[in-house]
Amino acid sequence: MYSSVADSTQSYQSSKTAKSPPDRSLIPPCQAACPLHMEIREYVDLVAQGKIMEALQVIRDGNPFPSICAYVCTHPCEDGCRRTQVDKPIAIRALKRFAVEFGGDRMVRAEAETTHGEKVAIVGSGPAGMACAYHLRKLGYPVIIFEAHSEMGGMLRVGIPQYRLPREVLDTEVQRLSQMGVEIRTNTRVVSLDLLFEMGYKAIFITIGAHQSLRMEIEGEESPGVIDGASFLREVNLGLRPSLGSRVAVVGGGNVAVDAARTALRLGARKVSILYRRSRAELPADPKEVEQALEEGINILFLVAPTRIKRRNGRLSVTCIKMELGEPDGSGRRRPVPVKGSEFTRQVDTLITAIGQAPQTLSDFRLRVGRGSTIQVDPITLTTNRTGVFAGGDAVTGPATVTQALAAGRLAAFRIDDYLQHRYPRVGKEVCETPLGDLLPDTIEMIRKIGRLEPPTLPPEARAEDFKPIELVYDWAAAISEARRCLRCGMGAEIISQDKCATCLKCLRVCPYHVPHLDASGTMQIPADQCLACGICIAECPAKAIVLRKPYDRRQVTEELHHILRSATESKLKPFIIGFCCHYGLFGTGILASLWREAKAGIWIVPVLCVAKVEADHILHAFETGAEGVFIAGCGGQCARENTAFWICQRIKKAQKALAQIGLETERVRSFTLGTSDEEPGKELDKFVEQIGRLYLASTMMQEVKS
Amino acid sequence: MIVAEQKTLDEIRRMIIPYHRILVVGCGTCMTVCDAGGEREVSFLHNALRLAETKSGNGVHIFSEYVLKRQCDPEFIDLLVDKVGDIDAILSLGCGIGVQAMAERFPDIPVLPGVNTSFMGMARELGVWDERCAACGDCRLEETAGICPITRCTKGILNGPCAGTKNGKCEVSKEMDCAWVLIYRRLERLQQLEKMRRYYPPRNFRAIPRPKRIVTKASTGTGENDG
Repeated sequence: MYSSVADSTQSYQSSKTAKSPPDRSLIPPCQAACPLHMEIREYVDLVAQGKIMEALQVIRDGNPFPSICAYVCTHPCEDGCRRTQVDKPIAIRALKRFAVEFGGDRMVRAEAETTHGEKVAIVGSGPAGMACAYHLRKLGYPVIIFEAHSEMGGMLRVGIPQYRLPREVLDTEVQRLSQMGVEIRTNTRVVSLDLLFEMGYKAIFITIGAHQSLRMEIEGEESPGVIDGASFLREVNLGLRPSLGSRVAVVGGGNVAVDAARTALRLGARKVSILYRRSRAELPADPKEVEQALEEGINILFLVAPTRIKRRNGRLSVTCIKMELGEPDGSGRRRPVPVKGSEFTRQVDTLITAIGQAPQTLSDFRLRVGRGSTIQVDPITLTTNRTGVFAGGDAVTGPATVTQALAAGRLAAFRIDDYLQHRYPRVGKEVCETPLGDLLPDTIEMIRKIGRLEPPTLPPEARAEDFKPIELVYDWAAAISEARRCLRCGMGAEIISQDKCATCLKCLRVCPYHVPHLDASGTMQIPADQCLACGICIAECPAKAIVLRKPYDRRQVTEELHHILRSATESKLKPFIIGFCCHYGLFGTGILASLWREAKAGIWIVPVLCVAKVEADHILHAFETGAEGVFIAGCGGQCARENTAFWICQRIKKAQKALAQIGLETERVRSFTLGTSDEEPGKELDKFVEQIGRLYLASTMMQEVKS
Repeated sequence: MIVAEQKTLDEIRRMIIPYHRILVVGCGTCMTVCDAGGEREVSFLHNALRLAETKSGNGVHIFSEYVLKRQCDPEFIDLLVDKVGDIDAILSLGCGIGVQAMAERFPDIPVLPGVNTSFMGMARELGVWDERCAACGDCRLEETAGICPITRCTKGILNGPCAGTKNGKCEVSKEMDCAWVLIYRRLERLQQLEKMRRYYPPRNFRAIPRPKRIVTKASTGTGENDG
């Protein structure tokens, strides 16, 4: 079970030899699931601390177009999230949206210098093309993008409805690309690659997407009133408003089908239904989208497929047949089988077919094309059969997600760089990483269940009127409460040196999650994949042999305390009081936030990432530097653990014992357990401040008497 | 394991008055486990002493700290040699053994005990230790069902229980189990009650002269003997 035992000793050795940051070979499952391999754990943690600008920085490091992903990412990270084992996954995409909106993404200017002479042409301006252009520009190449449509963005522009991705967001990103010096040619269809090479481009990246709708191959498919989903969305997204009539049916069960149905509703169709040949369990569209579609009043008919279309008196009469599920097919889904004699007819004004799409590669490109008209490439180098021609995105994979396209674009940029610099392609680091294992039942049981906060959405009746984005942004308190649910997988404690460890078993006895354990040889182990970084064992270890894996977290309390103490002593305000407050609670709860706001001159707040990390030493240190009082304020009922208050109490008692012998009153230290007392914390704090003031007065008078 | 508790801050402060530079030395084995003198306690004591000096306004001491893996082995103590050059006194948070070992190694530096070495015992739960062995050198646990009457009976009698037992508790304290009742119950459980009937003669005090020494290396017959 404890597969990470070997890993943690490995990391100990590496941390001894190379002072490496947290164990790189074990990555959190969210990061492993992300096609872009983004440092999700880092930015969720930063959001939880209210460090939104830093969070955005981390996001931008991994993703050049975070604002786009913040709206439309299919968030495979959330499917991988280990919190699913406890309650529900972290709302990672919504948190990213929060960081993008509040972190000042609009202010970010992308800049790049040209350091190479080789020009690169990108055919197609979808997410893959844009990402490739961005990274090639960053690497210093002159880049040009050719786009056949009148506007940039590929499927982002012509495929995704505006209520899911506002156009301004896309425009900002496009503008940023041109700011970087990417040349953009819209309304330009590339018909020959030879011509591009003749024009002096040294490498070409083909990312033409998959815009060609598949045909249903049924009678009457060519009748007027039948339109394919991709063309329909393209027309609407490029500004046309096709008249659909009042009854619209959409065939298919993917995201395009749902998008088309919801778009039709917004164009004024009264009755929109989706016909899908399998059951709800097999529906490939994003469940959230489906749920929202149902809320908006779209009717989904399951186990139904059209067999014949007839046009009569300006209306379509669609003959459908009922299906039942048979044996699983090659894709693992159960194959729908028609039920004999179950035909029925539906009258509609418009039928939209959205049963899948394929790339449409010009034969003049002379590229080798494989299954489903996709372009064949080498999976590592991304090269096609023609020298200097690379391909990626939907054109290679078939219809996929935005994130996958961004990842393909990034990879292509690096491979094109390798090609132009005559380097052998290097394999990415992700290959040698293994995601963290599952949580053990013992650990799961002890984790406090905290429900997932969904971002607010527009009410369904307000949605169908126009194309306004329906998902709204978190407010601060909600974002932080959601972000702090993160289990910080793999960022937990480790025994820095088995040599220092006296195997006193204290960590094993104090851990609220029963994580530390003795291995077969009697050595203490804290498995990286189970520890949740509460820090209690770290503050209790009598040998100080345990540290957090992330170097910043190790120093956090001490550094913040030093920083605050320096400012406090410089300010010369007397008496001053040091308050260790839960950093998450400072932003996440109204109570602590009000404490912070009401903090009077003389109260200096040290934000700590969970007050369980405050040691008795810290309290003494504050007094030594001149503090007249110290308080610890945890976030109370919001804490991820039940017993944080117990540990605070232990540390305070220990400090009080020493203070009493030194001649300082024990009332100078106290804790506020927020949410348990009826009194307002602000008032309680006021009382404490008054008390300290009196003690201070008394002690100065005593000193004067003595002298 | 040896269990100790740290002396009060007052007592330690009184002890160090005559000296200027103090090296606080912790011990990484028993004293770490029993929370009396590990790295955490050394640093806490160091902080507390400094704070006391600051608050009393007559800071005359200079403190430094170090934690040895074990203070009861001369080779570990040797690690301190270049750290005690200008030290006036060593405050050892090792057990009594550690203090003496240090005193032996550094004949010219006063070594002060920072803990009261209490007993040899075991952990009952987090932060609670119980005495279990008196190191008498004449172990009778086989006859007393693995429960030591020397340490666990207040009187240390070998033929108990005495008349002071009441409802399984000792007359000395209602909290304290009568060791002989425990022995009886366990012998009963092991079906060895006949051991209760026997008379145990007084212990062999000749086997217990102090200080004791144990030599495990074989005598090579070159005149060395096991003294």
